[in-house]
Amino acid sequence: MNKKFLLALLLVTIPRLAAADSQWILEESTLTYHVSHPLKQTEGVSHAAKGKGVCHAGQCDFLIAVPVKSFDSGDSNRDLHMLQVVRGGQFPLITVRTHLPEDASSLATILADLEVQFAGQTMQYKQISLQHVTKGNDTLIMGTIPLTLSDFKIDPPTLLALPVKNDIPVRVEMKWRAM
Amino acid sequence: MNQRAEKSGVALGILIFLFGISIPLRAQDSNSSLSGVITSAAGAVVPNAKVAVKNLASGQLRETQTDSGGHYIVSNLMPGEYELSVSAEGYSTNTAKVTVAAGTGQTSNVTLAGVLSLQDLGISPEQAQGTAADQARLNKRSHMLMLHQRLGLIAAVPLIATVATSFGAGGRSTSTADRWTHLALGSATGDLYFMSAYFAIRAPRVPGTNSRGQIRVHKALAWIHGPGMILTPILGAIAFDQKSKGEKVHGIARAHGAVAIVTAAAYGASIVSVSFKF
Repeated sequence: MNKKFLLALLLVTIPRLAAADSQWILEESTLTYHVSHPLKQTEGVSHAAKGKGVCHAGQCDFLIAVPVKSFDSGDSNRDLHMLQVVRGGQFPLITVRTHLPEDASSLATILADLEVQFAGQTMQYKQISLQHVTKGNDTLIMGTIPLTLSDFKIDPPTLLALPVKNDIPVRVEMKWRAM
Repeated sequence: MNQRAEKSGVALGILIFLFGISIPLRAQDSNSSLSGVITSAAGAVVPNAKVAVKNLASGQLRETQTDSGGHYIVSNLMPGEYELSVSAEGYSTNTAKVTVAAGTGQTSNVTLAGVLSLQDLGISPEQAQGTAADQARLNKRSHMLMLHQRLGLIAAVPLIATVATSFGAGGRSTSTADRWTHLALGSATGDLYFMSAYFAIRAPRVPGTNSRGQIRVHKALAWIHGPGMILTPILGAIAFDQKSKGEKVHGIARAHGAVAIVTAAAYGASIVSVSFKF
């Protein structure tokens, strides 16, 4: 009777353990966009990103969202102009989704396929290299996403009739914690 | 032999008849199409989404993918009931039943929810979705501030000329013509200044944004040159009247020059504060 009970218990619990869900929470983040103009360079920083990862059966889905208006370039006039140019009134969030195998957390460099939604457009960025460092309970992820204005159908703003460059790389520094 | 040939001829005739009527019937029936746009819950289009259309009567399956704009189209469908299934990486599969009528282009837009939703991040649908009205407010603000900037720069030209002609308009050896020139330039400056100020003051505010950086200096200086632009012409009018009567400028009118210089200096500093980023 006891053997049958143990066998039944094992049959019920083993599959559940094998497919156990785990979660990741984004604790801190610094996202920095870089805009180049022939006359000057500008950076805007946001620490307002929210993120979550859910792992199931060895596969993890991550979602990160950051409000467009949270980027601070040190000049609110420029930030408001940026908000207008990137259609931030209609599309107030930038979201990034990625799907990774759970064992990617053991690698120093992760190659991730990112789906970025920004300014009402969705773009896929394949094989983006992200550096991965584990510090105690925290996992640090660093990398640069090579966004461009044309990918998101954004007209380049001009200064003294000269447009900014099409490339707006976004440097990403994130601290994740497994729950 | 003749009987066999006769039978073969009849059979061939039936085949040709059936074939002849089946082609137009088929062409007429499969003239329908199903199309639409696949978007995420946040309103962004989803490219490369897999779209499967299954005829519920025949079980026939047709598949396609969305383009970079999230559009899909499945053409040459028979009329009937279909199951539309849309899947994309990072999203939950969405299935819907669609009725396709004969000879029509049916539209069916589908919204996909992510495996993880923005609600999972504590972001409400209101926070996630902006509106065309919000964007229109931003566009209006941006446009009005651009007009404010241009008119403000144009106003600097008659302002400089007004200051330059002030040396001939005041003092003992002044002519009526010099005073009128000074007055006309001052009036033009005031008109352009208040038009520029109107666009800055009336530009709609964007909720959730605060002034940061040098724009705060620009706004603070407006508290000096704004009252100065009201006070200077009032004092100037009194001084003008006194000079026209052949009197020496006296009383509060004597402050006209000093107020004008402070106003012009604050105005210049205000332009510089947003022209050069530190």
